[in-house]
Parts: sequence; C-alpha cells; structure tokens
Amino acid sequence: MKKLNFILIFILISTFFLYAEYPDGNKILKQIDENLYAKNMISTSQMIVHGRRGSRTMKLRSWTEGDDRSFSEYLAPPKDAGTKMLKLDDKLWIYNPSADRIIQISGHMLRQSMMGSDISYEDMMEENELTEIYTAQTVGEESFNNVSCWKLVLTAITDDAAYQTKKVWIDKEKLIPLKEERYGKSGKLLKTTEILEVVKIGKRWYPKRMIFKDVLKKGKGTEFIIDDIQFDVDIPESRFSKAALRK
Amino acid sequence: MIFKLAMKNILGAGFRTWLNIFILSLSYFAIIALQGFYVGWQDDASREMKNWDFAGGQYWQETYDPYDPFTLEDSHAAIPEDLQKLIVEGEAISILFSPATIYPEGRMRNIVLKGIDPDQNLIELPTKYLVDSDGEINCIIGSGFADNLNIKEEDYIVLRWRDKNGTYDARDIKVAHIFSTTVLTVESNQIWISLPTLQEMLGLPNEATIITIKDEMYSKEFSGWQYRDLDFLLLDLTNLIQAKTVGSSIMYAILLFLAMIAIFDTQILAIFRRRKEMGTMMAMGMTRPKIIQLFTFEGVLHAVLAIFMGAIYGIPLLRHFEKVGMKFGADAKDWGLSGLNDALYPVYGWKLVVGTIILVLITTTIVSFLPTRRIAKLKPTDALRGKMTK
Amino acid sequence: MIKFLAKGLLRDRSRSLFPIMIIATGVIFTVLMYSWMMGFTTMFIRENARFETGHVKIITRAYNDLIDQKPYDLGLMNVTEKIEMLTSEYPQMHWQPRIYFGGLLDLPDENGETLSQGEVIGFGVDLFSDSFEEELLNLEEALSNGNLPTKQGEILISSEVAEKLGIKINDKVTIIGSTMYGSMAMNNFTVSGMVRFGVQAMDRGAVVVDISDVRSFLDMEDSASEILGFLPEYKERPTFEIADVFNAKYNDENDEFSDIMLPLRKQSNMEFMLNTMDDRLGIFIFVFIFIMSLVLWNSGLMNGIRRYGEIGVRLAIGESKGHIYRSLIVESILIGIAATIIGTAIGLVFSYLLQYKGFDMGSLMKDAKIIMGSTMRAQVTPVSYYIGFIPGVIASVIGAIFSGIGIYKRNTAQLFKELET
Repeated sequence: MKKLNFILIFILISTFFLYAEYPDGNKILKQIDENLYAKNMISTSQMIVHGRRGSRTMKLRSWTEGDDRSFSEYLAPPKDAGTKMLKLDDKLWIYNPSADRIIQISGHMLRQSMMGSDISYEDMMEENELTEIYTAQTVGEESFNNVSCWKLVLTAITDDAAYQTKKVWIDKEKLIPLKEERYGKSGKLLKTTEILEVVKIGKRWYPKRMIFKDVLKKGKGTEFIIDDIQFDVDIPESRFSKAALRK
Repeated sequence: MIFKLAMKNILGAGFRTWLNIFILSLSYFAIIALQGFYVGWQDDASREMKNWDFAGGQYWQETYDPYDPFTLEDSHAAIPEDLQKLIVEGEAISILFSPATIYPEGRMRNIVLKGIDPDQNLIELPTKYLVDSDGEINCIIGSGFADNLNIKEEDYIVLRWRDKNGTYDARDIKVAHIFSTTVLTVESNQIWISLPTLQEMLGLPNEATIITIKDEMYSKEFSGWQYRDLDFLLLDLTNLIQAKTVGSSIMYAILLFLAMIAIFDTQILAIFRRRKEMGTMMAMGMTRPKIIQLFTFEGVLHAVLAIFMGAIYGIPLLRHFEKVGMKFGADAKDWGLSGLNDALYPVYGWKLVVGTIILVLITTTIVSFLPTRRIAKLKPTDALRGKMTK
Repeated sequence: MIKFLAKGLLRDRSRSLFPIMIIATGVIFTVLMYSWMMGFTTMFIRENARFETGHVKIITRAYNDLIDQKPYDLGLMNVTEKIEMLTSEYPQMHWQPRIYFGGLLDLPDENGETLSQGEVIGFGVDLFSDSFEEELLNLEEALSNGNLPTKQGEILISSEVAEKLGIKINDKVTIIGSTMYGSMAMNNFTVSGMVRFGVQAMDRGAVVVDISDVRSFLDMEDSASEILGFLPEYKERPTFEIADVFNAKYNDENDEFSDIMLPLRKQSNMEFMLNTMDDRLGIFIFVFIFIMSLVLWNSGLMNGIRRYGEIGVRLAIGESKGHIYRSLIVESILIGIAATIIGTAIGLVFSYLLQYKGFDMGSLMKDAKIIMGSTMRAQVTPVSYYIGFIPGVIASVIGAIFSGIGIYKRNTAQLFKELET
C-alpha cells in the first residue's frame, strides 16, 4: 500500500514537472474567452471567398450578444445585399430580400457552405465560448508567423461538440488564438483558421484578418477581415427577432 | 374423316403449303423467342435483385424513403428482438444508412454510407472485404460509381460524417474492393463499410435502417418498421418489363398479320379453284357446314403442321439461346436496365409455348373460316359447273 | 409484247387487281415498317438531343470533367457574345443556352412559414424569345394542367412534385438554391402550369423556368451551363466537322475554362446506345423483309396456279411453253412494279403522316430511363422509296418463276383439262 502511494505521488510529481513550465490550459482558455467574447458587439466586416473563378468580396454587419444570439446583414455585393441571418440558440433563419421569405436552415441544408465560403452553416452554429465545451491542456510552445505561442490541445467535454479536438496556438502576450486546427473524432484534420493580423480595440486584442479553410475541399479558403468593431454597445432586444429580418 | 381429307388436300398442294407452314412456324418461333427473352429478363433481373439487395423481403425503418434524402439522417432504430434473433441465426441482416460527404477532386459530394455485416452471406455483396485491418476502414463500392468518381482499388476516399450528436468526424477510408453488379440500388451514390464500424462511427450501436430477411414467408409486424415484400420491392422492374412486353406485342401483331395474309390468300384461292370439288361433295350428300368445316380445318392444319416445323428448327435454336444467352455487352447498365447481365438467358416456360400455340391457332381458325362463308351460299348446281353463286 | 401484256392485265381485272392489291399491301407495310423503324433511331436521337445533348453541345473543360454532376458554377460566361459569334459562323444552326440547377422548392403558408419542401432539378431555358425551347422540351404536350409561362417569374413544375407538396396552379413558391458563387439564393415564382414528361427521372422533380429568371436568381448574368446547337436536321458528319473546327480554335488544354464542343454521338453513352440500336433495328428489318418476301413469293406462286386453265388454252392454240413462261414472268414484273409503285406511294403517305403526326405511346414508355417523348414518329429516308421493291418486285417475280415451272411439268392435255375448273 505504501509502495503504491509512493508510485502515485511520483507520477503526480513527475507530470507536474513535465508541465510545470506551461501555464494551465484551461486558465488560458478562460482568459481568451474573457478577451474575445464580449457581452455584445457590433461589427462590420468583409468576407472574401476564393473560388476557382476568382475572388469575391462580401460585406456584412453583425450584431452579437453572448454566444446564443447573433444577427447579420449582408451589405454587398448587390446580389447578396439585404440577405440577413438570425441565430437564436440552435436555430438559424435566413431572410432573402428578393424572395421576401424567411427560411429556417435545418437538416442537410446546414451542411452546405455559407455564401460559397469555406464556412458551413453548421460552423456558424457552433458555440464559441471555448471553456463551455472544451478542456484544454498546454502541450508546448511554438511560434506562428514569428509570434511565440502556447500550443493547446482542446478536448470536448460535451457529447455534442462539433469537433472532438482542436489544436490552438495562442499568442503568449496578447492571449489571442492565432491558429486553430479542428479535428474529427478519429483525428483527421478538417478545418483550419489562421489569424494574420490582430488589432487592439480598447483594452483588448482582436483578430483583424483571418483565413478559414475547409481542408477537405480544394481551394484557397475564405478570408475574413474585420473593418470595424464596437464592444458592449446596447443592442435593442428587437434586433434578435424574426421581425428584424424583414426590416 | 375430315382430318384425313384435309391433310391429303393441303399436302397435295405441295410447295405452296410448306411455304405457308414455314411462315406460320416463324411466327411461333419469333413470339416464343421474344417472349422468352422478356421472361428471362424478368427472371434474371429479379433474381439478381434478390441476390444483391432484397433477398426474401425487407423491413424498412418507418421514416425511411429511398427517394427522399431528407429522411436519411433520422431513419434508424433499434432492431426488434425477433429480428435480432434471425440475424444471429443468419436468416437476416441489418443494414444501417447514414448521409455522409466525400470530396472527389476537392468538391463536396453527398453520398449514402451503408453499414453491413462483413460476415453475412445472405446477399451477394462481397462484404468479406469489409473486415477492417490495421486500424483502417475498408470500403467497397460498385464499379459504375467508382468510374464516376475516378477511383480504383487501393485508393483512399476522404469521408466526412457526423455522429448522432452532430460531432464531425472524417477519415481516409480505403477502397478494398470494387465490385461489379447489375443492381443499381446497391451501387449508385453509395459506399459500403462494415456495420459495427458504422454503428461505432455514428454512436448507434445495434441500430439499423433496413433489415433484409431470407424467408419470403416471414411477415411479422413490428411497430416502427414497415414490411416491404418482394412484390413491392420489384414493382419498378415488373412495370418496366410489362411496358416493354406491351411494346413488343406490336411486333407479334405484325408478324401474325403477315402469316395471316398468307393463310387468307391460300383459302381464297382454294375456295375459288375447288368449286367443282365442293359441288361433288354436296352432290354426294355432304352438308354445307361440313364443307365449311373441312376448308376451315385445312387452313388450321397449316398452323398445326407449323408447330412441328417450328419445333424442328426452333427447339435446337431456342435451346442454344438458353445456353449461350443473348450478349448485351458490358454496357448493358447504360441502358438503365437494372439487373440485366451482360448476357441474358431467355426462359421458355410451357405456359408461354402453349399460350403462343393457342393464340396462333385461334387466329388461324378465324382467318381460315372467314373466306369459307361464301360456301354457305353456294348452290350445288352452280358448284358442279364450277361457278360461284353470286 | 410488254404493251400487249399490259393491255391484257388492264382489261382482265382478275389477273391484275387481286395480285396488285396483295403486293401493294405488302409493300405498304414494308415501307411503313421501315420508316417506322428508322423513326425509332431518329426519335431516339431527337429526344436525346432535345433534352440532353443537342446536336452539338458547348461546355467548359472544367464542366466537362464533372459533367455527370452538371456543375453550373463551372459553366460558360459571355454567352450572348458567344451565341452571336456562333450564329454568324454557323448561320444554319440554332443555339440554345441552358442552365441546369438543383434546389429546394418551398411552399409557404399564409404567414410565409414553410409548409412543405422538396428537392427539385431546375431547367433554365429560353422560353420567351421564340418557341424553339418550347418545342424542344415538348412543353405544349407535356402540360397537364394550367398554362406555359408567359412572363418572367412564372414556373412550370412537374405534377408529381405538385402532388407531393400540395401545390396548386397560381400558388407562389420559393426556390432556394445557391448562386454561381455559392451564396444562398431564393426566388419566388408563380406556378403557371404543371407538366408530365413521361420520363421518370424528370417527373420526379423537374421545374422549368425562363433562363433570364434563373440568371438573375443564381447570379449568372450572361452565363449558362451549356449551349446546345441544333442543325436544321440531324446529320452525323456535319456535327463532327463543326466540333473539330470549333475545338481546334477554342479548346485550350491549359485553360480549364476554355470551351469544348461535343457532337451528339460522343456524349455520355450515346455511341454505345446508337450502335446497339442500329444492330437491332437492322436485324428486325431484315427479318421483316424476309418474311414479307416469303408472303409475296407465295402470292406470286398462287397467281400462276390460278391461271393454269388459261395456260392450257394457250398451249392448245399453239403457243410455245417458253413463250407462255416468259409472258407470265413479264406480267409478274409489270404487276410487281405497278403494285410496288402504288404500295410505296401509299406507304409513304402513311409514313409521312406518322412522321408529322406521330403516334402516342405514352402509356408504354412510362418507365423508360432513357429520355424519350411518348410520341413515336416515323422517319422517311431515301431508302423508304425503294425498300418496297425487294418484296414487291423481286419476291413476287421469284414466286412467278417457281409457279411457272409447272407449265413445263404438265402436258397440254392436263392443262387443258384444268380449263374446265
């Protein structure tokens, strides 16, 4: 019995030493969440889709409240302008101005790509607050684009996480994830996100330019540029209603 | 008496008679050969479909609809206990369906992923290749679909799916075998993997979408499952072949029509030339109906003799077709004829043969009789002088 | 002698009328049958050309690689300019742009919420500039309910889909699809009519709209999936020649969006289908003509036999056997020719009738996977004009030759005796 205790203590100590130099992953996650996920925000951004026949830039304005509610409106190009999306919890509606119809996206339509990008509607639906879904372990230091990063491995703690594991590279100073790899249950890389530019807004750092890529698909991925972002602004309750889609 | 007389009369005409008989025998032959072809097709195709897909019938999870891809995601349920017993005994197999995505040439393509027991031997699908080894998932796909995707054996396919909770997963799965089948329902737009693997991938242990059973008579009801018997499963095929059969009956009609022109012609000539003979018969006390009978019978006798002549060259030829089959080339599937092998073996049942004979005999009788009605008006005196009573 | 024999034939109707009737009937059937069979191939080609292949088809190379999936995002651009150029280069041809797309048909309730939904395959075709597409897709005939679209924003849906989703004429439906660039797009249409093509593949979910609607709907301004080209009449060789010239000029192996032209025969599995079809039709026509020849041979034989009495008299008055035999054969040739001309003429009339009016076989064709209209039509070809001579003249003359041999076999007395009968 004594011997067993000793071994256990030894193992504990040795693992402690192994990771001693790295900060606790979950703590980092929490910091990221605190940094990135404001109670609410309004942003204007561009989405550049690189297709086989050249690129296309879309402009959109988004209102987000926490994780559950978001509303976005496409401003350009003319064909897409006026298209609005509303996400409430696990439901997603799209409003199309030319048809003046609100359609709920469900079932196999969720699997389709959003506006031709490498992001699917399902990706849109994913919960963003990392700490709620994942437990993290810091596994090392690596530099990404010449920025020194912590490398974290995130493992889902809930059954219904869209991705079982993620690897995240986090800027040590700014505490912002610069690169993210999403893996399937059996370990296949499915999607990557790379943040190429960050910007300081108020007291927090925020991604400015990033690239999403569906690794399984051929192509150059989808670029996302945030032109303007405001945090903790009051968003009227009516913004997150189906009625707002038609306005 | 009439038989002997009629026989003598028509054989007396010699060459002409044999020509008519030959034409008639061709009708028999063509009808039997073609019908046999359709029967053979139906037999072959339904056998292939049973061998590859339907076995003795299927239970479908109640929301499953093969024509509605929306239903796929939720069409699965726990296997009823009684059926589970059958599965253990090897009398049934369960198959699980799931929508999935593959990326041929980097483009997304939605397919149906099907899980089946690698050890099954109820249907012909070469499932033995599905035993996973070296931690790899093996799959089999049909040759048509493989061509469509430009995939060879030993290639890897990127497969992405979501489990029952919606969690993504993706794997490179190995194409262990490409099978060639004539049954499109087990090949188009689908990939087969091992059932336990799929159940694990989806987090749906012991669930299935369809359960194929061996025994055609088994038809117990289970709530949540729809029993689909062979009549239902083979309906498309039955309809198709029926349509084709109706189409080809136009050809029989033309053929029979030709033969009947020949018979009609002969009858007219016979009645025209043999008035004197008729007169003599009447003078000797034969009634008109009796004479009509004789002439009609002579016509029919052509058809009877044609049976024998047809048999002489027809039986060896048909037997030959039966053995060798009709070659369709490897592209028979391009015609959209599911279940049609590259060679088709006709089947000639006695029903078909007897049916054809009766059809031709009845038609010949009518055609032989029609011209003889003139005899009814014939006066013996006119007839004796070789005149037709107007 | 021919003049003399012809006079005899004309004056003695029993010698000419009945045989001519029989031979002519046989010839009518032969001509009709042949044209009908030819019509089968022509119809097969035409139906495929109309729905699927055109006589030639222009697509991009990238599209061609995935042609089974009909990826409209890899379709053709600058279509107006292209068609103008094609029209000036090939003034005899007609060019028709098309867009094929997949989408969801969504029927809203009075509050605009989804009532029912189903997958559809869309045909974006030019419905308004002229009636060319209307004829190609056989819309007039396929229309089972309502009217063809007369203005933008109107849609034809297959009656099977309408039934399944509970859609009525004049309902407003929304089609949800994605644009050429992948954005989600929606467009409202008013159901102007319902169609039933008689082709399972299409009846299960086809919708037809004007191409201008589809272009604005799918953000495909001046684009098309394919451009189908039609000659005034399908001939195989020109399609190959035109395609060769076109491809030499425009097909660039280094540019995946350069254009490529495919002639009908080289598309999907047309080559195989046409070959097997030709083989089978050939066998069928051969068998038919063979049997028809036997029948007419038989009738030629009987014509001879019918006249043994007359021959007896002629022998009795001193005509030589050879002379009679020759005259019989010349007569049969005259009859054969006359009957064949009459038969061919009538047969051609019927064939042309069938060519232009067609014969509705809708119920028989319902399950064919191959795209086919339900109206069968004959096709008169140059061969239709002389095919009847094989059974009509040759076979009946052979019949006469055989029956005439009897003249030599019998002696005068016997033949004379037959005069009495």
